Amino acid sequence: MTVRDERLVDVARASFAIVLALVVVAAALALLGFEPGPALAALARGSLGGTAALTATVLKTTPLLLTGLGVALCFRCGVWNIGAEGQLLVGALCATAVATRLLPDAPAVVLLPAVVLSGALGGFAVAAVAGALRASRGVSEVISTILLNFVAIQLVALAVHGPLQEAAGAYPKSDPFPVAALLPAIGRWHLGIAVAALLAVATEVLLFRTAIGFRMRAVGLAPRAARFAGISPERIGLATLGLGGAFAGLAGAFEVAGVTGQLYEGISPGHGYTAIAVALLAKLHPLAVIPSALFFGALEAGAGAMQREAGVPASVTQVVQGIAILVSATFAVAARRRPGAAAAGAASAAAEEAT
Amino acid sequence: MCGITKAFVRDLPVLESVDFDIAAGEIHSLLGENGAGKSTLMNVLVGLVRPDAGTLVVAGEPVDFATFGPAQAARCGIGMVHQHSALVPAMTVVENFAFGDPDGGWLFRPARRRSAVQALAERFDFDVPLDRRVEDLSVGERQRAEILRVLGRGARVLILDEPTSVLTPGEARRLFTSLRRLRDSGHSVVFISHKLGEVEEIADRVTVLRRGRTVGVLDVAEADAPTLGRKMLGRDVAPLDRTGRPPVAAASGPPLLQLNGLAAPGATEASRLRGLSLAVRAGEIVGVAGIDGNGQRELEEVLAGVRAPSSGELRIRGEAVTPGARSLRAAGLAHLSGDRETSGLIAGFSLAENLILKGSYDDRRFFRRGCLDLGAARTAARDVAARYGVVPNDPDADIAVLSGGNAQKLTVARELDGDPAVLVAVNPARGLDVGAARFVHERLIERRAAGAAILLISTELDEVMALSDRLVALVRGTFVPIPAGADRAEIGAILLGGTVT
Repeated sequence: MTVRDERLVDVARASFAIVLALVVVAAALALLGFEPGPALAALARGSLGGTAALTATVLKTTPLLLTGLGVALCFRCGVWNIGAEGQLLVGALCATAVATRLLPDAPAVVLLPAVVLSGALGGFAVAAVAGALRASRGVSEVISTILLNFVAIQLVALAVHGPLQEAAGAYPKSDPFPVAALLPAIGRWHLGIAVAALLAVATEVLLFRTAIGFRMRAVGLAPRAARFAGISPERIGLATLGLGGAFAGLAGAFEVAGVTGQLYEGISPGHGYTAIAVALLAKLHPLAVIPSALFFGALEAGAGAMQREAGVPASVTQVVQGIAILVSATFAVAARRRPGAAAAGAASAAAEEAT
Repeated sequence: MCGITKAFVRDLPVLESVDFDIAAGEIHSLLGENGAGKSTLMNVLVGLVRPDAGTLVVAGEPVDFATFGPAQAARCGIGMVHQHSALVPAMTVVENFAFGDPDGGWLFRPARRRSAVQALAERFDFDVPLDRRVEDLSVGERQRAEILRVLGRGARVLILDEPTSVLTPGEARRLFTSLRRLRDSGHSVVFISHKLGEVEEIADRVTVLRRGRTVGVLDVAEADAPTLGRKMLGRDVAPLDRTGRPPVAAASGPPLLQLNGLAAPGATEASRLRGLSLAVRAGEIVGVAGIDGNGQRELEEVLAGVRAPSSGELRIRGEAVTPGARSLRAAGLAHLSGDRETSGLIAGFSLAENLILKGSYDDRRFFRRGCLDLGAARTAARDVAARYGVVPNDPDADIAVLSGGNAQKLTVARELDGDPAVLVAVNPARGLDVGAARFVHERLIERRAAGAAILLISTELDEVMALSDRLVALVRGTFVPIPAGADRAEIGAILLGGTVT
């Protein structure tokens, strides 16, 4: 089977996973006492039916795309970054601090890059904490990134109740961004959407066309062999985690500077967690993250419509989204076992036996 | 056990119709080199490995392998103490006895459990501190606890996998006393070992395995150590063709690789490197013979630059080299490992990617200004596959689909194509069939003729003896000289610690 054939099989599997997810969702809706037909039709209308629906889908897709890319990059390198949520939140927090407190009066030429960069830096910093702990003390990044999510959630809460709270002091949210801090947009399509798409291409190039990407993939597949090739898994892992964090931080900055125009608690409905499903469904291929993120983005956009038009309560739409994520991600992961991998496993078992 | 056959990789059987029997009240030693299949055979007996063919009869009852697992083996009274501890470190010895005991019930009654264990320990004279955590025990105490636990599960056949490898001589003595007591009470003991001396001392009967086949079953009373050694190592292995090899003319050449008092921490006390000194000159192969666990892995890792030495220096072409995989490679050292799956190649990477694996920092042919030139890598891979006969020759094929021989050809190509001045080859033919092994060996001889300095570290005595101009033994992290012209039995004695006490 050639590489091209394998890709086709991967695409077929992912498509099947999506169809399967929708079937399970329909069954779940029926079980919960809703008519699956109208509910799914509302879902489709709300995500794909018309300009407004498509816009909603694309806006939901952007943070999923960026965080999904960050997660895919980390997983490729064998770094289990579960902290995209926290990295996104701190990115949004830093961007808001710059836009509303540090440089609120700066012109757009200065302010906009500062907002975007501070978001990326914020995400990078959170991830780097986990990365440094991992490289220096061997702390599992799974644990540290998850725990840092809670730290980030509380940091945002602290900020919008305290130093970043709006001047009016009525609600736990930040001041609205000055116009100079808002991302240029055509209608509701902000610049971040294009940047995210470009970054998907850039990540593909990074992984498969550069020396650093080569090292990342080597470390992810076989850290010991990478070490024998002069590559430090610790250093590469730290760099990758930092980069993944920057992507998530960027997602946070784009949310506040491109969509909401301010920071509040619950700014992310768990984009950073869905990102893991996005990355897995894409089989960790940066370009494939685009359609994968679109699927989950459409699901999120459509869930709103399902709620409004088909009378499905919010809690049920959340259940539906959860089921879709679970089914598609499970299927994508289960399909990762390949005959080649099994053969290599048997060979290494035999080698172990011989000692 | 009759006609046991097992192959983990197709056409490369680890066991080939092996027969083995054990009587009640005997200590039966299973003797063989590393990789002879001893552990696999015993793993069949305890239900961990399902054989491809063969029968097993326990106390007159034939066993159905389809349903034979560790639990069934335990019910048949067969228990094994593995080389690696199976105890829970954070639990006390008594708690470990309760843990996983199928007849333990659902209540843990410490006092009752403790007295049962105590009685057992006293009966066979096993001195184990019952109330200490396993992680705080010495290796010997841990092993005794483990044996006791197996006995506590009602084992009548006790299998010990190289039990003395972790023990001091004094502890080994005590273990032997307890084993004799077990035998006298009607238990059977299978004692896996490759140490001739202790087999002679403790065993009643010996089954000798060589390369997955039974080569003899002897009463120890009738066999002395040299006889056993000959059986274990084998005499009739076809020697590598030495014709066409120039005599050791280069012995006067400059030393290309020098180890000066090299010391490094080890995975175990026995494998710690304790000040190794050696010079390998241009045009010679120096063989390092030894049994696994005596520092082979550590020496390989130091020479490959992935284990930092604690003292001593490494010189290549007379220049001291800072340890590190990249600096060593830049200085002209290549590393050919038989441990392809974990240190040589990356499964999931293509032929082309594996070929350029070691050049990601400095190989301008494939990496320029941070960019990867996959086209150049593909072309090079196609060329290498053609010249070395790697099948498949598709540069984009995942190397996981390659056979061991083809994978090793690719490694050889990568390591030797740059004409390295120094080559460190470690078990370079491990797991290869005869033809592929011959191919690798011929490449080594070729490099030697071309003036490279080759250090061959191998646990296969045949291999080092056939290829090397000079031999040293690596025993407990120290080089022990092997006199020129020493025969297999003499070398065997040195490797087994015969000359060092």
